[in-house]
Amino acid sequence: MSGAARGGGKGGRPARPSSEAFWWALFSAGGVMAALFVPAFILTTGFLLPSSDAMAAAGGAGKVAAAVGWWPVRVAIFGIVALSLFHCAHRIRHTLMDLGLRRAGGVLKVLCYGGAAAGCVWLGAVLARV
Amino acid sequence: MSGQYHRSHSRAWFLERPGYIRFMIRELTSFFVAAYLVVLILTLGRAAAGEAALAEWLQALSGTGWMVAHGVALVMAVWHAVTWFKAVPQAMPIFIGEKKLDAPVAAVLMGYGPWLTVTAGVVWWAVR
Amino acid sequence: MSDSKTITLELFRYHPETDSEPRFQSYEVPYDEDWVVLDAINWIKDYVDGSVTHRWSCRMGVCGSCGMMVNGEPKLTCAAFLKSYYPFPVRVEPLVNFPVERDLVVDMDGFMEKLRDVKPYIIRDDVNDTSQGEYRQSPAELAQYKQYSMCINCMLCYSACPVVGHEEEFLGPAALALGHRYNKDSRDRGKSERMEVMLSNEAMWGCTFVGECSVVCPKHVDPAGAIQQAKAMGAQEYFKRFVMPRGAGTKGAGASRGAGA
Repeated sequence: MSGAARGGGKGGRPARPSSEAFWWALFSAGGVMAALFVPAFILTTGFLLPSSDAMAAAGGAGKVAAAVGWWPVRVAIFGIVALSLFHCAHRIRHTLMDLGLRRAGGVLKVLCYGGAAAGCVWLGAVLARV
Repeated sequence: MSGQYHRSHSRAWFLERPGYIRFMIRELTSFFVAAYLVVLILTLGRAAAGEAALAEWLQALSGTGWMVAHGVALVMAVWHAVTWFKAVPQAMPIFIGEKKLDAPVAAVLMGYGPWLTVTAGVVWWAVR
Repeated sequence: MSDSKTITLELFRYHPETDSEPRFQSYEVPYDEDWVVLDAINWIKDYVDGSVTHRWSCRMGVCGSCGMMVNGEPKLTCAAFLKSYYPFPVRVEPLVNFPVERDLVVDMDGFMEKLRDVKPYIIRDDVNDTSQGEYRQSPAELAQYKQYSMCINCMLCYSACPVVGHEEEFLGPAALALGHRYNKDSRDRGKSERMEVMLSNEAMWGCTFVGECSVVCPKHVDPAGAIQQAKAMGAQEYFKRFVMPRGAGTKGAGASRGAGA
């Protein structure tokens, strides 16, 4: 019967371990980070800091830069943003697959996770200089 | 097997059920979150370039266009968080003995509670 | 019975020996507010058109065989009351995401294969003789999987899932939920065997948590939740292989896992 062929390995052989578990783990951790932190980040960098009153209260751009410069903050920002990037990459990839690009799955994988990885490198370079 | 009839799928399947539309909106939030993260890295880059560069960049961000863009991103990010916290009790049920913790309680404990704490903390850190 | 009120049923008709394309056929059925859609189809078959083909058995939401699309919604027709639709016509189609065998009957072989693949039964090497007593389980241990054991294999969730429609290798909501049900059973030792199947590329990871499977489930199984838990379990299993390669801490199936991790 063809029962063993579906889902699992063909002809009773074990299925190939999937990298999907790894990407899903990043997606999942990143989802938590994005949900907890991103709204607060947008509130801060999109509204509070650009509005001059808050900037004055914060003691100007110098103080902001100094606050970000403390290394535990930099490490935290890296972790949060990097995981969030992979979260988004995974979701965008799977949504595009659901939308009919399933056959371009390999290309999507490279583009999405590659994009997230590039973002991480960029982020790392930026944070190293703050 | 011949003789069977195979129905084809609509390319616009995501419009077929309200739940599918809600799903697409949820998924779409990740695009806006990603776009914001790029802007955030740009902002950090300006901070790295020095005080004057950051001040100039923040000045630009106070323009209407950026404010609208951040407004949209905020709505999307909040919706991302809300849908995530809705999913958490389903994906990570907590049992106390033989009783599963009610979904709203679990969502507050594992989602909304930490969310408020984190948000307050980040805002305090930035403007203190 | 009631007075002369009637309701229109539009049935999906397809007879492979004569039809190359399906068509809809309308029937006027006496309207009774106690009737469900299944009663109306049975009435048509008994009194109007014996060639109408459909599956049903218990007519009380237990057997899971009368699932059909009712006005585009996957439903147990034994639980879909005519009064929810009256006076408008009711359109009945076979469950979507399945090949149509004949009229309202779908081919469920693919589903049965997927079900078989997750090994939905307790696996353990040390099967005790009944004289040695029972395998005990506490109420708390039972609670871990009870919800997922309520599945009646009605396949409504497969019709609600867009991923099932697009990805053939995807095991689908009910099968994954049942696999998870046994993985969570304290008496079971077969998790690693099941994970062989569930960890493969498209078997489980194609699920994007649309969540409609849980919405349409007549037994409140919440397959969507079960799949996310299974993914978390799968991710743990995946990382465990780096720490303990070659199926350490597993039974039986560990040896067949092969080299590399």
